Amino acid sequence: MEAAISSILFYLFAAIAVLSAFGVVASRNPVTSAMCMALSFASTAAVLFGMGAQFLGIVQIIVYAGAILVLFLFVVMMLDVKSEESTLSRLPRAILGVVVAGVFAGMVTKAALLLPGATDNKCPVLSLFCDDYCATTTAQTPAEPAYGGPLPELKEATDKENSGTKALGETLFTQYSLPFAILSFALLAGTVGAVALGRKIRKD
Amino acid sequence: MTPLAHYLILSGILFSIGLAGVLIRKNIIVVFMCLEMMLSAANISLVAFSRAQGTEGVPVYDPQVLALFVVAIAAAEVAIGLALIVAMFRARKSVESTAITSLKD
Repeated sequence: MEAAISSILFYLFAAIAVLSAFGVVASRNPVTSAMCMALSFASTAAVLFGMGAQFLGIVQIIVYAGAILVLFLFVVMMLDVKSEESTLSRLPRAILGVVVAGVFAGMVTKAALLLPGATDNKCPVLSLFCDDYCATTTAQTPAEPAYGGPLPELKEATDKENSGTKALGETLFTQYSLPFAILSFALLAGTVGAVALGRKIRKD
Repeated sequence: MTPLAHYLILSGILFSIGLAGVLIRKNIIVVFMCLEMMLSAANISLVAFSRAQGTEGVPVYDPQVLALFVVAIAAAEVAIGLALIVAMFRARKSVESTAITSLKD
């Protein structure tokens, strides 16, 4: 029951994310693009929540839908960008982009479906309605590990000791403390670079 | 649960929509937005692999740390990139990618 609902929510948010990503590419007004991007990032965060990565979902909302989006809106409004002309006027370029992206998407889809156990999954909506269907399908579990099949169930977080966020923090600050320090230098360099690029260049 | 393959397909589709936007659009700000979408699409597959590799209900946390790094690098990249776009607008009075042709001519 819970698994069925989480599957349905995944497909719902995945559809919202893909549709709003189309909106980013298709809309002629950059402000509309930015708003569609916010919706796409929020749905991506919902997908991350569904996978049990609560901290990354929150980070996705705060950093992407919060900070990055506001920066984009600032720049769009500061530069007073005009709307682009219709896509039809540069059809060859649009066709090239769609073909390249379509081939890439097809390759990824094919590769993902070739993973062991990727295609023998049960319809989640069907298992919501009839118990017999679940009983018959769970009986015949494959012997070999189905890597591409359903994700393993998460252990129930009984207290805050074994929550995912704590384990993520422990991994980050023990095993990856040096990359974390280097990352802070990258952020510092980014800030300094943005200030250096953004100031007015004096002629003298 | 949803199979791993479906998460990977979602990630691939979002990535290729971003790729299409980078190839099609001329407005550099929108191209940059599509780049950000490609980065966040990669995060989905990282977290999905973190779940799929886990044993006894505990995910492997290394991919999630990598996803966190991707988010931080994306933030730094946006700061630099938007500063570059503002500098380009000052120099060329345009944010179309067709305005930058110095190396072509």
